[in-house]
Amino acid sequence: MDDFEKRLKQDADAVNADVSPELRSRIDASLQGVEQVRPVTNATNSQNNLWWVSSLTGLAAAIVIIVMLNLNQTESVSEPSEDSLANRPTVPEASNDSPLFPPMLDIQAADFASPLEEELLKLQSDLEKARDSVREDVDFTF
Amino acid sequence: MSGTSAAFDELVNRYQERLLRFLLTRSASRADAEDAVQDTFINAYRYLASFDSRWRFSTWIYRIALRNLARQRRPEWEEADETLESADDPLRNCIEMSERENIWLAAKSLLSEDVYAAMWLRYVEDLSVKEVSRALEKSQSWTKVNLLRARRKLADALNDVPLNKTAQRESYG
Repeated sequence: MDDFEKRLKQDADAVNADVSPELRSRIDASLQGVEQVRPVTNATNSQNNLWWVSSLTGLAAAIVIIVMLNLNQTESVSEPSEDSLANRPTVPEASNDSPLFPPMLDIQAADFASPLEEELLKLQSDLEKARDSVREDVDFTF
Repeated sequence: MSGTSAAFDELVNRYQERLLRFLLTRSASRADAEDAVQDTFINAYRYLASFDSRWRFSTWIYRIALRNLARQRRPEWEEADETLESADDPLRNCIEMSERENIWLAAKSLLSEDVYAAMWLRYVEDLSVKEVSRALEKSQSWTKVNLLRARRKLADALNDVPLNKTAQRESYG
């Protein structure tokens, strides 16, 4: 610190800046009624939080719906009986030699054909019932 | 009293005299300076949540004080120049003598408000050039250049305080 800076400090200290009790009580009194202002960044944070919460809630709801749909689908697929398995249309065996039918395609075809098999069984059952009904009618007539 | 209020009470204790001293040299009267001190503390308390703790509290509170001063701007700064028209005026001679007694009186008549504030914050409050720049919302280059010019100007006016080379180096940071 050089002489000039020392003098700047000394002359500043020479200014009488005693705080009167009246000024202090004025400051204290005015601070009593002041409410603190929250910075804008907090509002932005809360908006971000709200956005995250709503997004996560939506995502969770979507996951729950997907899981429920999958469970219902699994429950609705009944175990095929042995008879139906016997009548099950055969899927042509893919030869390992053929590049058009790789082994994985057999499994997918079986999975996708399950609803059709079920429908086929129902149709066969209806056909059987209709045949019985016709037979009964014929017996009753003749 | 809540924790925040108690902590702020401590800050008021610490800064009330320093702020009043600064504002006394900038205001037309003691009453104006005291009003400015009160307004500064009210604004500081109101916006305390926006204080960036990476900076010194003095930087922030002086920034508020300077904004308050700009808002409550009075023409005394210009009036001081208008009243000093005649070289033989005894009032002028008296003021010049006072200015020689206190360098800040000379600074008030020689320097602009921003440069005066920069000098005060740098040499009385010991803020760094970076902190002074932040408090005044100026660039660091502006602060360095104007601090050096102000020193030269004051040294020339007072004619008894030489500006040494270490001061020049320091001013340029």
